[in-house]
Amino acid sequence: MEVELIEIREFLASHPPFDQLSDEALDHLPRELTIRYLRRGTPFPPQDAGQNCLYIVRKGAIELRNPNDELVAKYAEGDVYASACLPHDPAHTLSGTAVEDSLFYLLPCDRLQTLRDADSAFNDYFTQSISTRLRRAREILQDTPRSGGNLMTVEVRALIGRSPVTAPPTTTIQEAAQLMTRERVSALLITDERLLVGIITDRDLRSRCIAQGISCTQPVTAIMTRTLHKVTPDTPAFEALINMTRYNIHHLPVVDSGGVQGIISTTDLIRYQSANAIYSVGSVRKCQSVAELVQASAELPELQVQLVAAGASAYQLGQAISAVTDAITRRLLELGEAQFGPAPVPYVWVAGGSQGRREQTVHSDQDNALLLSDDYQPEAHGSYFTQLAQFVTDGLNACGFVNCPGGIMASNPQWRQPWRVWRQYFDDWIMRVDRKAAMLATNFIDMRAIYGDEMLHARLHAEVLRQAKENKIFLAYMATNALSTRPPLGFFRNFVLIGEGDHANSFDLKLRGILPVINLARIYALSAGIPEINTVERLKAAADAHSLSQEGADNLEDAFEFIGTLRARHQAQQIKQGIAPDNYVTPEELTPLERNHLKDAFGAISDLQTALAQRYQTGRFY
Amino acid sequence: MLERLFSLDYRRRRLAAKVPAGPLRDYLETPFVARKADCRQLEYVALDLETTGLDPKKDAIISFGWVLLRGNRIDLASASHRLVRQHGAIPEASAVIHQITDDAAAAGADLATVMAELLPLLAGKVLIAHHARIELGFLNTACEQLYGGGFLIPTVDTQRIAQQWFERRNRSYRPGELRLGNLRNRYNLPRYRAHDALVDALAAAELFLAQLAEREGNHPLPLKDLMLRP
Repeated sequence: MEVELIEIREFLASHPPFDQLSDEALDHLPRELTIRYLRRGTPFPPQDAGQNCLYIVRKGAIELRNPNDELVAKYAEGDVYASACLPHDPAHTLSGTAVEDSLFYLLPCDRLQTLRDADSAFNDYFTQSISTRLRRAREILQDTPRSGGNLMTVEVRALIGRSPVTAPPTTTIQEAAQLMTRERVSALLITDERLLVGIITDRDLRSRCIAQGISCTQPVTAIMTRTLHKVTPDTPAFEALINMTRYNIHHLPVVDSGGVQGIISTTDLIRYQSANAIYSVGSVRKCQSVAELVQASAELPELQVQLVAAGASAYQLGQAISAVTDAITRRLLELGEAQFGPAPVPYVWVAGGSQGRREQTVHSDQDNALLLSDDYQPEAHGSYFTQLAQFVTDGLNACGFVNCPGGIMASNPQWRQPWRVWRQYFDDWIMRVDRKAAMLATNFIDMRAIYGDEMLHARLHAEVLRQAKENKIFLAYMATNALSTRPPLGFFRNFVLIGEGDHANSFDLKLRGILPVINLARIYALSAGIPEINTVERLKAAADAHSLSQEGADNLEDAFEFIGTLRARHQAQQIKQGIAPDNYVTPEELTPLERNHLKDAFGAISDLQTALAQRYQTGRFY
Repeated sequence: MLERLFSLDYRRRRLAAKVPAGPLRDYLETPFVARKADCRQLEYVALDLETTGLDPKKDAIISFGWVLLRGNRIDLASASHRLVRQHGAIPEASAVIHQITDDAAAAGADLATVMAELLPLLAGKVLIAHHARIELGFLNTACEQLYGGGFLIPTVDTQRIAQQWFERRNRSYRPGELRLGNLRNRYNLPRYRAHDALVDALAAAELFLAQLAEREGNHPLPLKDLMLRP
């Protein structure tokens, strides 16, 4: 059959949601349409509309405004206005105008319903629930690995090569070594009945037995590692790898209620292509100098490229990059302590910003601070910590974690203080109640202990959480800051629609999409005294604590993950092209469907910002 | 010349009385739309013909494209494209323009079949064409040959409307500015890549919607204001 109206068919086939339709449905669709023309300035939908229809903008543009006459959306070629067919669509309260001479294709609502009934992918586009649409968007983006490597989805059980080699605690070291040689394994699990009690590795035999001069007739319990990291068989392989990198271990026992199921090693994991980079960066522990660390961290961009190619989510990527940065930071502190001697008083190195929240991408600067024990005496110990902080921050800078533009670094004496001073800082920020104080507090509330006496930080964090939760005015100032950046309204042709008549060629995904969610999650967490730092974990905990509705939490998480995954992909492409990664995305980089999904994500963020503004009446605090 | 003094509908009745029974007489028996009728309430058929040349006496119709309008809407369900079977080869020059080969044309329908389908559709409606003289001339010849009588229809010519627009404003214009594509551009209408009779009929129909929308206000717009003088 000759397809008539081929021009119209092709136009529909290249725009969502019609691009979802089968060829056959597309062949028939043009004949279902009518065409209308509205001159600039005409109300939209036209007052003589009669039958309710979906409108497809073929040429021209329309604007939608809310009852306060604020611009809410702008549609151009290929955009679809379906509100007249969606009984519960909030856009009903909006009034529209053609702002250019415009040509529309109209599809009657009952015909639309027939198409929706026949095609579930097409129907999804019109699903009333923004939650469902966001969920799908995130799944589509994250379930499409662009090259091999399925470390993101494969479970640990699939990597267990053989039944575990085990021995009882009474085994002598020599017998253990003989067993390992016979079985050709580099690690032996020590089990008491079916209970896992320890592990010994080739390295333990060398460093804890021979080097220490321990007799090999001693039982293995003398040299085995007792504090064990272990995983269950259904753990994603990716998570196992992150744990191994985080704790610098090469063997991970796999245990379930039936006892030890096996053991996986880094070698098992790096058989998966995507693991190469994380393995080489994971070896930062072996680096003996800043120069070697610089070399190891040069692999971080490649790690991001590989993880994105393997379909990693923003969450997974953040965990991976932050684990490596943590390892580099720890190694720098160890090298520093080796150079300047052991610390004179206990301290803890804390990292803030994206590293603190475990949300790093390769394009992150450093945010850190030193929290010292109250035994600290400036005259006696000051120079030691000055040197150490300078060494580590310089090292991080050399490794590509450039200096924080706001100077939030341990090398800054203001942020290298004993516990009691930090306590006063927070007291001041929380009680002083102004926007600047709330902003400073924001930086330090997201700090996480990286190295040293973690209890120092835990004690401070717990007190700050308690204090913040009770201070509603402080929270209101935090909310005011959180709402200072609104997400874009959407897209208009190849522009980003930021606000009233404001178009941009590109936009900052981090500033406009990611930071607003981070800020929202922080307030929900603080208002419920939730200790989590990671944004997704904060949202989940906030929903559990009823500080945020489950739907709101899910929507924000999906929006956050969708935008974050887009950003990770954007940066991976830049890295591959040899460009320094950034957060600026142009609409041309996005498919029409991705633009629609981004618009949903922006909408979800904006809705919760509005709800927060009402809860804290932030208008009073500007 | 005297013919022009009579109303179109009077001429329709006279012609209907002369023409033998058949599709043309059936068509002519339906009264024409009144000249005072509101343009925004009428039904139209936008028509484009592709022909082997410009002379209706010597050249032949290769294809028809048409689409119906109800008031200010184009109804795409009515969109039709008909190839006409040719007796004799299509001149190379027009084959190049229309991209219709002899083989494709040989697969077409008889002119009589297409006319018998089109005439009932035109009954009681207004014709829209861009540079309508060609369509009217070829339809007239086809009716004379097939049914032994001429063809009449109230017509709006989108090119003539544009020309009047320039003249009313005392604006000079180049002939090229009256071409369908250029006029569409002025009204922010999309550029179509293909050019067959149906796409051009649709293009003229959309241009007419734009010209109609340009007439401000909701007061009735009498057909005679836009109609081609017979």
